[in-house]
Amino acid sequence: MSEPIIEFDNVTFRYQSDTESEVLEAAVKNLSLKIYEGEFVAVLGHNGSGKSTLAKLANGLLLPESGKVLVDSMDTACEQDDIKIKQTVGVVFQNPDNQIVSTIVEEDVAFGPENLGIEPSEIRRRVDESLKIVGMYNYRKHEPHKLSGGQKQRVAIAGIIAMEPRCIVLDEPTAMLDPVGRRDVMAAIKRLNSELGITVVYITHYMEEACEADRIVVMDDASVIMDGTPREIFSDTEKIRSIGLDVPQTCRLAQMLRQSSIELENDLLSIDELVNGIDKLLKG
Amino acid sequence: MSHIKTENLTYTYSAGTPFKITALDNVNIDIEKGELVAVIGHTGSGKSTLVQHLNGLLKPSSGRVLLDGEDIWSSKEKVRSTRFRVGLCFQYPEYQLFESTVYKDIAFGPSNMGLSEAEIDERVRRAAKYVGIPDEMLGKSPFDLSGGEKRRVAIAGVISMEPEVLILDEPTSGLDPAGREQILAILKNYRKMTGNTVIVVSHSMDDVARFATKVIVMNDSRVEDSGTVDEVYENSAHLSEIGLSVPQVTEVFIKLKKLGYPVSEKIYTVEQGYSELMRLFSERGLLK
Amino acid sequence: MIKDITIGQYFPLDSVLHRLDPRVKLLAATVFIIMTFAVNNFVGLLLCFAVAAAVIACSKVPLKTVLKGLRPIFLIVVITSLLQIAYVKSGIVLVDFWKIKITSGGLLTALFMALRIALLILMSTMLTYTTSPTALTNGLDRIFAPFNKIGIDFHTITMIMTIALRFIPTLIEEVDKIMSAQKSRGADFESGSLIKRAKALIPLFIPLLFNSIRRAYELANAMTCRCYNGGKGKTTMNALKFSGGDYLSVALTAAFVASVVLLNIFCGEYNAEFTFNAAV
Repeated sequence: MSEPIIEFDNVTFRYQSDTESEVLEAAVKNLSLKIYEGEFVAVLGHNGSGKSTLAKLANGLLLPESGKVLVDSMDTACEQDDIKIKQTVGVVFQNPDNQIVSTIVEEDVAFGPENLGIEPSEIRRRVDESLKIVGMYNYRKHEPHKLSGGQKQRVAIAGIIAMEPRCIVLDEPTAMLDPVGRRDVMAAIKRLNSELGITVVYITHYMEEACEADRIVVMDDASVIMDGTPREIFSDTEKIRSIGLDVPQTCRLAQMLRQSSIELENDLLSIDELVNGIDKLLKG
Repeated sequence: MSHIKTENLTYTYSAGTPFKITALDNVNIDIEKGELVAVIGHTGSGKSTLVQHLNGLLKPSSGRVLLDGEDIWSSKEKVRSTRFRVGLCFQYPEYQLFESTVYKDIAFGPSNMGLSEAEIDERVRRAAKYVGIPDEMLGKSPFDLSGGEKRRVAIAGVISMEPEVLILDEPTSGLDPAGREQILAILKNYRKMTGNTVIVVSHSMDDVARFATKVIVMNDSRVEDSGTVDEVYENSAHLSEIGLSVPQVTEVFIKLKKLGYPVSEKIYTVEQGYSELMRLFSERGLLK
Repeated sequence: MIKDITIGQYFPLDSVLHRLDPRVKLLAATVFIIMTFAVNNFVGLLLCFAVAAAVIACSKVPLKTVLKGLRPIFLIVVITSLLQIAYVKSGIVLVDFWKIKITSGGLLTALFMALRIALLILMSTMLTYTTSPTALTNGLDRIFAPFNKIGIDFHTITMIMTIALRFIPTLIEEVDKIMSAQKSRGADFESGSLIKRAKALIPLFIPLLFNSIRRAYELANAMTCRCYNGGKGKTTMNALKFSGGDYLSVALTAAFVASVVLLNIFCGEYNAEFTFNAAV
């Protein structure tokens, strides 16, 4: 197995309360997790399970109260590696409106590389490439506020890609989008992983999206409670549903049939797999 | 008898300039009292513009909106009373909370209606109960609540006007599955308890299949289709063409049918799918 | 309403003027505006108008659009003109009726002032019509770059300007949305006394404020993730570079200044009586 690009080592974090006397519950508690180079990991969990905190800990936006977060072996608490860490692990947030800095798409994408002090001609190359891979090159001269949510989110992703990170963490990037926007953003993210080999950590509560990942990490109550392939995770429908999450309709249907002692295989995930499974049983 | 209805409703932005946009084009809908209607369509299809006409926020460029058979624009008083009779809750309503306490925020609508203190109090408590906000939360600042709680408080702020027609624009967006379930339960409950009409703008075809008594499909500023879930979902290929997709379980049955199995394609929820398959398995003697 | 204001708008076209370096345009517009106030004779003013006409022609922006941009200042022009007519009492008395006394001097001063204001607005709109807000801030950033060396953090100021420009449309949309939402709950923004109306704005401003703070936090996080550290060692993708057109524009601007100065010396101050008599 390759080297971990992000390593959470027994990390605890709690937010400060407005009133000094009150101590808040830990948002992340004794969490240990390794993300390996090249992986596509989905992080599932209901609102308030600590997923967003995980995203902000991943590149040093937040620093752990105890434990360590290592990005490519650099401790995020070490201030002098700060820029290097943020360049290695980029984070994209939920609301695309609040991530775009500039009034023209291509100038916004250039923002990261400009801050890194990269040569203008190289910035130009990166901006064009990043916009192409997210499918927004034709919109490079547009004003961001006139784009749709899905388009804005892809511009925000391009803005991170232009820094040439090795890992990208996305915190519910499709939560505010409609089905078309969601589909386009998901397709762009899959391309980053398969074509550029960028490690993807994808935080979501859409189960269909999580199915696309190589690995799913389920969070509940500030820690990781499940970790495995989509097949492994969704075969335990009961556990998933008990923590307020849902499983894809195909998994639920298969589960209900199994409970009525219909002997379907245990790891049917996609529509075709379920159809084939049923077909096999009926043919005997 | 029709409760709320539009007649040749057309709405254009920036009329008389080269940037003229037709947001609604000759829209005719007719909703009966007590229905739970889902309006579906992709972003920009005109669904949000349509619902903003139903409570008189937007004035039709041409055509009429009729509430109980009367034009809501017939007089100034009529428009104002329509605001209260047709309650509209916008998308992400938690971003419109402003009062110092949850109680006061929920009371904002009823106090604008000029009701008595006692009546306002009654309505606030009733609305809080509908959305599952406990009494001890009423004294808190709405800004200290969790995302899901804020959403429910904001919805209570519209429900407290006890509108005859309750409209919600994508009330579940951004919520996790448990949060979505809660909101859908609130809508069903409000309809059941009051017998009022509820209209929900949504793009989750899975959710719509589970609650709607009637579906209106908007596309390209027009009503593309309308009817029961069965009638509308039948045309799954066309729905995905206009940026909507039928539930996964429906696709399973379309594929089974193609393989030659005698199953119905009109399966839109997991429960329906389960009973249909159980029927098939028992017919084939495969049940133990 | 708010959306109808055209001053400060950018008109994306491809013209000689659009392609000029924003620093040159800023410089030329500033110089031009100073000169319209320095000019003291009608011949000079005529030259200013000729230059303005040439600029408009080069910009490819339709004349109608340019003139439309002048409409909002019409009232200001009328008021200043009336004040000039009322206060300047020189030259020939043209009307002396009851308490109203209009002189040729007053009339001419008023006309002169009106034309100056028109030129001022015309040139500043031409600047914004042909220069994108980003290019404009970029230009300002470069012009004032030397100040960063002496400890004035001008980069932060231009960054603030960029972000403001980026978020104005977002906030206008948000105001619209919150107003609609509160109207749906019976809020009335349009009627009642002044105090009542001011109070009615609370349900608008509180959420707007909270949402803006939330946006600011999120934006700050996003900017940190993109390695923003206050502009230290920052490069620019579209580095500004002078081209032939820019040098030519600087030369033309210099020639314009020289002409105005010469005209001021040789044509002298406009003489109300002289001009009036000549006209008659």
